[in-house]
Amino acid sequence: MTSTTAITAQECAAQLANIAGEAHTEVAGETVSVAPLDAAQISQILRFADANAISVTPFGSGTKAGWGNPVAPGIRLSLNRRNSLREHPWQDMTCTVEAGCTWASMQAELAQHGQMVALDPLWPERATVGGIVATNDSGALRLKYGGLRDLIIGMTIVLPDGTIAKTGGKVVKNVAGYDLHKLMTGSFGTLGVITEVNFRLHPAETDARTWTATAPDALQFAEPLRILLDSQMTPSSIQLRAGKLQSALDVRIATRPEAFDEQAARLRKILGQIELSDSVNEVWQARQRLFDHEDRVILKASMLSSDICSVSSELQHLAAKQEFEFDLTAQATGLMTVSLNIPADAVPRLLDQLRSRLRTSGGSVIALRIPESIRAGLDVWGCDSNALALMREIKRRFDPNRTLNPGRFVGNI
Amino acid sequence: MLPQSHIDELRSAVGADGLITGESQLQTYECDGLTNFRVLPGAVVLPRSAAQVQAVVRVCARHKIPFVSRGAGTGLSGGALPAAGGVVISLARMNRILEVDIANRYVVVEPGVINAHVTARVAPQGYFYAPDPSSQSVCTIGGNVAENSGGAHCLKYGFTVTHTLGLEVVLPNGEIVQLGSPTLDAPGYDLTGVFVGSEGTLGVATKVILRIVKRPEVVQTLLAAFDSPHAAGQTVSDIIAAGMLPSALEIMDALAIEAAEAAVHANYPVCGGLLLVELDGPSSEVEALMSEARAICSKNGAQQVRVAQSDQERALVWKGRKAAFAAMGRISPNYIVQDGVIPRTALPSVLSEIDRMASAAGLRVANVFHAGDGNLHPLVLYDRAIAGQEELALDLSYRILHLCVDNGGSITGEHGVGKEKQEALGYMFSEPDLATMQLVRCAFDPENIANPDKVFPRTRLCAAEIPGPYTPHPLETAGIAEIF
Ligand SMILES: Cc1cc2nc3c(=O)[nH]c(=O)nc-3n(C[C@H](O)[C@H](O)[C@H](O)COP(=O)(O)OP(=O)(O)OC[C@H]3O[C@@H](n4cnc5c(N)ncnc54)[C@H](O)[C@@H]3O)c2cc1C
Repeated sequence: MTSTTAITAQECAAQLANIAGEAHTEVAGETVSVAPLDAAQISQILRFADANAISVTPFGSGTKAGWGNPVAPGIRLSLNRRNSLREHPWQDMTCTVEAGCTWASMQAELAQHGQMVALDPLWPERATVGGIVATNDSGALRLKYGGLRDLIIGMTIVLPDGTIAKTGGKVVKNVAGYDLHKLMTGSFGTLGVITEVNFRLHPAETDARTWTATAPDALQFAEPLRILLDSQMTPSSIQLRAGKLQSALDVRIATRPEAFDEQAARLRKILGQIELSDSVNEVWQARQRLFDHEDRVILKASMLSSDICSVSSELQHLAAKQEFEFDLTAQATGLMTVSLNIPADAVPRLLDQLRSRLRTSGGSVIALRIPESIRAGLDVWGCDSNALALMREIKRRFDPNRTLNPGRFVGNI
Repeated sequence: MLPQSHIDELRSAVGADGLITGESQLQTYECDGLTNFRVLPGAVVLPRSAAQVQAVVRVCARHKIPFVSRGAGTGLSGGALPAAGGVVISLARMNRILEVDIANRYVVVEPGVINAHVTARVAPQGYFYAPDPSSQSVCTIGGNVAENSGGAHCLKYGFTVTHTLGLEVVLPNGEIVQLGSPTLDAPGYDLTGVFVGSEGTLGVATKVILRIVKRPEVVQTLLAAFDSPHAAGQTVSDIIAAGMLPSALEIMDALAIEAAEAAVHANYPVCGGLLLVELDGPSSEVEALMSEARAICSKNGAQQVRVAQSDQERALVWKGRKAAFAAMGRISPNYIVQDGVIPRTALPSVLSEIDRMASAAGLRVANVFHAGDGNLHPLVLYDRAIAGQEELALDLSYRILHLCVDNGGSITGEHGVGKEKQEALGYMFSEPDLATMQLVRCAFDPENIANPDKVFPRTRLCAAEIPGPYTPHPLETAGIAEIF
């Protein structure tokens, strides 16, 4: 609880225990954790918090809790008792899953029928569906299958005033009413609590192979990448990896077994002089591994696909000149994750440089992890949208008392 | 009627040649593709730029005049139906393709650009714009964005929203905002995703950034003739279960085949249920999949399985399919085009139930559907000249929508809610659901002037709108819980 909150953490916990049960309520310092059983309890908790000006942070497993601005302590609303795959009508290739279900356990169940949600987010073993959706995470499969916006067909949400609402539905094609699930996706828990998500499914990629090419300077991949993206090949994923002195291009193709040889031959032709070798699935873990060094700064940059090689190469040159270490992965969709080993006081300048480099083509840079010492005064979001006033108005309509994750999102929403 | 002073303000916004106020000319705009609803607007403006749209919307905002955006007017749910005495903003003159970026696979267009023109523009470089509504030779990108239009190939390629990267929008208060961008995941709420499919109720799109897609190496179309749509439907399920994702899976029943044949001589086999399967991709892959698809068709008792042998033959197959609605005029004096969605597995039972309901009403229903994603287009045939038959037909068509919802589906897969299905939306969503949607509406358009009285079951005022706590939907209390 913060100093402005009228009641103490103990009093708050007592109230929440009445709703969710004592066994599911816990006080840790100024934060009260509560794990409600169902949407009705979530609704009650939100109404209580909203009426008492206590902030609420929806919580999955905390893998991305540090993304965005910090939120003052209040109620940590855990979805971990809402953790099952509710329905999997596999012949319809859809599923309904509770927000607290981990990505990997959902996928394991779907795999029993040879299906998947075609997305490869970070930390699937721990990250929950709700958290992945709220942060709009996505990985290398996005090239072929699109992002969460293209995979989510419906949702159940609970608003701060306790309203339980459904949006979309359980069929893939549906244009009835507004698509609130698109608004919720990537809203960082600032508008409502996601309790269930309906996905469209794809056949699992049973026959898939990965090839990797390596070269010192990332710029060497610019032309092959352009040709590959302009070709009629249909890779599921293309990823550029780069560090200070080396870079690699990974390509994953899923097709019928009889088609692989011909696809590999084409790929070789496109890469020309650069050698291509059979590779392993582990290369697709590269983005997640960037987060392993806990002392590193992590940025998420979005750019045109034609820029990923040149931006990587520019970073290589800068790193050589300024003597810092970095590693990055960039998907051919233009989404790049960079892990940097630079002094804290050099972060703001680098962030500015990157932002102005990308801004002209509509790109952006979000600082996912920064040293606490420079957090004050640093804009982690870098949102220069002229629709910010409209976004604030949407927040005001959904959450007039700023109960949900206050301040966490762009423009301190 | 609009007072003269407002008309004068509109004239200074768009110039004299951009303003229509004469009654006979206004009549051109009194309806869209849903012709049984007609309302005369107070004025029609034809802006040439976002600045002119902005000037018009400012006039409307200042005087609280309702406005309705209009593309080509092909909408089938009354979305472009004018508000009485309001302003129609026709985007027809904003029809330029502003930018083509092949390397990054996007184009930037004005909203009045015709769908098929986007593909025509990028075809020389081997690209196409994927969403292909049957009306694509006339309908506009602005209309497509507003309706989140689909087409036969959205099974594999997705809908308009999948291909919309960003928008420029004139908000109902006259402000211009940029939503999204050619790059992904711009920080902030995904307002592009919210705007697409909002049926003109959140503002006027004045620029659209669209994704374009490389043409597949090969495209093959298979026609399989079955005794009934049921057998064709089972084949669809089996093809999907085999892990294939065809670019299109379409079914036509005997009546639809008859009509399409009469209209364009597509050379379809005479049968009870015709299935079209289109596969595309790298040639080695398509060959393997095509033989699998053929085998599944034969296993399900197809009397005839044929692959279109040339591009011309394939084009003809699709021409017949895309002409199916209009062709109904050849076998029935009047007809209603319906648009509902069901989970694919419910296809056989829902088709039987539609048959039963049709015979009970003494009417014929033709069926054309995007079977891969369970999107039905039942065409209810009737004769207006017979007293009472139109009412019967309308009633039947609405009951079919309820049937879709009862089976876990939706009241519209691509045509939108518009004026036609406002009540049906209330059948599909409960009060809290609708009240939550209204929060978005009120954030964009607190004065309720952008395409008012559409989509939602009743007019709602923003200020008074407070969503209540959860009340179970009637279906849930009835035990058909969790239906959508
Ligand atoms: C024969 C026929 C076949 C069809 N087949 C299909 C099909 O296969 N798939 C499918 O999805 N649809 C189909 N349709 C329906 C229709 O063509 C689509 O809904 C289309 O997107 C409408 O485009 P339009 O330019 O005609 O829009 P209009 O009918 O003029 O307007 C439609 C809606 O869009 C809004 N609008 C228009 N422009 C803008 C803008 N710039 N900003 C904000 N709002 C705007 C209008 O207010 C209205 O609510 C078909 C229609 C016909 C007549």
